[in-house]
Amino acid sequence: MAAASSTIRRKVWQSLSSIKTGVVLLIIVVILSAVGTLVLQRPVTEADEMQRAYSPQMLSLLDKLGLTDVFHAWWFVALLILVSLSIVAASIDRFPNAWRYFARPYKSPDRPFRRALPTQIQIPIPDEETGLVAAERSLHGMGFKPERVVGSDRLSIFAERNRISEVAVYIVHASLLLIFLGGIIDALWGWRGYVSLTRGQETSIVGLRDGKQKNLSFAIRCDGAGQENYKDGTPKKWWSQLVVVENGRDVQKKEIVVNDPLVYGGVRVYQASYGPTGKLDKLVVNASSLAGEKKDLSLSLDQTVAVDADTDVKLAEFIPDYVVRDNQVYMRSTEVENPAAHFIVTSKKSGKQVNFWLPPLEGFAENEQSPYQFTVEDLKMGYYTGLEISHEPGQWGVWAGVVLMCVGLAFVFYIAHTRFWAVPVRDEKGNLVLWVGGTVNRNRDAFEQRFQDLTEKIKSELKEMKPAAAFRRKWLRSPEKN
Amino acid sequence: MARARVEQQPATTGNTLIVVVGLGIAFLLFMAFLNVVKSGNLLNESNLLYAALIFYAGAGALYLGFGVTGTDSYVRFASIATWAGLAANTGAVAHRWYEAGHPPFASIYEMLLSFVWTLAVLTIVAEKKFQVKVIGTVTMPVAIVGVVLMQLLRTDVHPLVPALQSTWLHVHVTLAMLAYAACALSFALAMVFLIQDKMKTETFLAATSLFTVGVYAGILTRFEKWGGLSLIAWNAQDKAEVFVQKGVRLFVVIPDLGWLMLLVLLVVAAPFILYLIGRVKKDESFYTVANRAVFVSILLQVLALAVFLLRASSGLYSSLDAEGLYATSLAASPFILSGLVGGIFNSLLYLLLLWRRADLERLLPTADNLDRITYKTICIAFPLLTLMIAAGAYWANRTWGSYWSWDPKETWAAITWLVYAGYLHMRITRGWRGRRAAYFAILGFAVVMFTFFGVTYLLPGMHAYA
Repeated sequence: MAAASSTIRRKVWQSLSSIKTGVVLLIIVVILSAVGTLVLQRPVTEADEMQRAYSPQMLSLLDKLGLTDVFHAWWFVALLILVSLSIVAASIDRFPNAWRYFARPYKSPDRPFRRALPTQIQIPIPDEETGLVAAERSLHGMGFKPERVVGSDRLSIFAERNRISEVAVYIVHASLLLIFLGGIIDALWGWRGYVSLTRGQETSIVGLRDGKQKNLSFAIRCDGAGQENYKDGTPKKWWSQLVVVENGRDVQKKEIVVNDPLVYGGVRVYQASYGPTGKLDKLVVNASSLAGEKKDLSLSLDQTVAVDADTDVKLAEFIPDYVVRDNQVYMRSTEVENPAAHFIVTSKKSGKQVNFWLPPLEGFAENEQSPYQFTVEDLKMGYYTGLEISHEPGQWGVWAGVVLMCVGLAFVFYIAHTRFWAVPVRDEKGNLVLWVGGTVNRNRDAFEQRFQDLTEKIKSELKEMKPAAAFRRKWLRSPEKN
Repeated sequence: MARARVEQQPATTGNTLIVVVGLGIAFLLFMAFLNVVKSGNLLNESNLLYAALIFYAGAGALYLGFGVTGTDSYVRFASIATWAGLAANTGAVAHRWYEAGHPPFASIYEMLLSFVWTLAVLTIVAEKKFQVKVIGTVTMPVAIVGVVLMQLLRTDVHPLVPALQSTWLHVHVTLAMLAYAACALSFALAMVFLIQDKMKTETFLAATSLFTVGVYAGILTRFEKWGGLSLIAWNAQDKAEVFVQKGVRLFVVIPDLGWLMLLVLLVVAAPFILYLIGRVKKDESFYTVANRAVFVSILLQVLALAVFLLRASSGLYSSLDAEGLYATSLAASPFILSGLVGGIFNSLLYLLLLWRRADLERLLPTADNLDRITYKTICIAFPLLTLMIAAGAYWANRTWGSYWSWDPKETWAAITWLVYAGYLHMRITRGWRGRRAAYFAILGFAVVMFTFFGVTYLLPGMHAYA
């Protein structure tokens, strides 16, 4: 029983860590993502557009299969988790080997290794020390830092560069996992919503994408918003002056524009849109009495203003685009096409109320009974600013992952682990030679050239050193036979 | 027959083409200059583009001439023409940049402008650095199509809408251009590798005719009742497509054009069918017939293109969805136009291979080298793709408040990334070399093309600008 379960475990591990599984999983991800871009997706596309695009049977089939919201479906998320697990398993499976390479560099090549290494050469040397010095000097000249390795039976030279390249691919894999982790955190604890505010308005409730509402621990107030246009009338800039209000105090102020959000307590507020609300902001009217007195009044909706000691005027209704039908005033649209305003003029003494309409609508207006006649001087409509609000606690994982990935890719592609060894040995004929070998983990062509350069250098060093070597030879023991 | 004729030509008569092309360039430039003298404005963008077009066309003719005859002096003059075209193109880019006040990446017109420029630079680099001399035969016609398409698009400087006013736009788009250019180069190198890898000429025959069949099958998805071909209606005044309602384009039907396209489809399918028969019967004589069929199909394709150009660029047509007559334009059907030109060009390249294979093999680097250069190009393309996606995500996060929203362009960029990641894994861990790697590189570029063009035109999404 125990044996069987351990075999199963091993088999699961093997298939999870195999590159074949990884590739198959990635192919499935690719196919499903492609399907997700070809089929219209639910939250982005509105319901009636979906109905227009597909027949009812087709739509219900797509919905049942989950193909109308691929990227948020449980099986897609599960697939991404499987991919992550496969990357983890493959990395763990292969990592120890690479780590051994990295942690314990192979410095002193033994005979089987020397025989098998593809890139190698033997250079005749007068004695061991001369050969080692020549190799050291040449490697120094090429920018390496050679070290002398004391083996059990002989001295040798080892030099290397960019050892990190051996584990670079794991940096890339780790960075990918970091990005996934950030994405998962955001999927679980992040949220996105939208609010629209007019000038002076304050809110702490955000309408989320999924229709729910979210209460913020603070409120956002809009102190002003606007749009600047290019000469041709297309929008150039949208801005909103926002204030964060917490416990009744203004704690942060910022004018945000598109591409420059406000950040407070991990919540980001973005300028998303700007437009007319269809509601009145201010109406400036000129009131003239029968006696010829004139006066400017500024009114907003439902506001009452005193014209003189006795007379009050209230803006009771404002209809941006009116139409009269069946003795009723209707609003046709929210655009200022055909506006109508309804004032109520009250006399404090008599309590008499008069309905004043601009324009004087027949059947509604009692304009001639009013002590004042009103004319419109200025009309200001209200504008809202649309704000996207989001909370993405995982984004730092994503950015860290991105940076790490760029570093890792740079190591993977542009940095090669180069190693050189030099060992004085006896060749088959018993002559003393310097065995020089080298290897690289990528970009072989450039390496071959480099190896050529190194051998040339060693040879010319040896030529220069010959006299000194001849002098020293007496004091040095001859190398043991290999 | 044509082969015999070409081979009889002694190399010295090669100068005729240079003289003809040189005179043509001089004449066209002179005509343009007369026009400029009248209007008094010499160095504006459209004049520079026109000059670039003339030089690119000259270079293209010379490169093709080189491909067909193998005369070395053609290449020298072709690269001079390419340099001249590049200079004019650079002027046009600089002018645009100065006028618009931002780098030319904001609209599809500006993207094309930058793309053609990049292509010309790459051609010169490939020729000088990698000694891939015939690359101009492939890139110059693409550049010409690009400049011609530009003439059809809206050219007025669009101010940047608020979402695009970000440094990250330039970073993102520059990286995208570089990455895509590197992918294009890896594709061209993979194709050349297949030639050097002694892939049979018949296999290229099958592949090219399948591609052309695909193009015409794609065009025939617009086949309408009674043999018409429906195209998007175009408002010449606004230089914009006509919409019935938001998101629904108005189509007009050009009568009888559908029949013509169907006929061409049958003809371009013939070489492939002949190839299949030859393959099954193991009879090579079918391939000879198939090669002749390719020749015939080119003539018919040119005819189809000419008829399409004439009928789409003028005339009023009725629509199935609305009353009245509407105009259409070449600009309304960039895909059909590029498909038609691409089909012809693809068949011509096949003929080039068929007739001059030995010369090509002599002139091109060895298969091993090509395999390695392809891999190296992808090693450059992949980090660029990564950076491009990262910059896009960062920008999206600043603008829309979310670094990833599974928008089709984003998703396809991720798919492209995954395909190349697959290539690298197979190559590094599984030791895929040669053909299999080359096929993978070709697949990668097909996905890139879909991400670049297909998503913009065929799928809905936020990347509406480019």
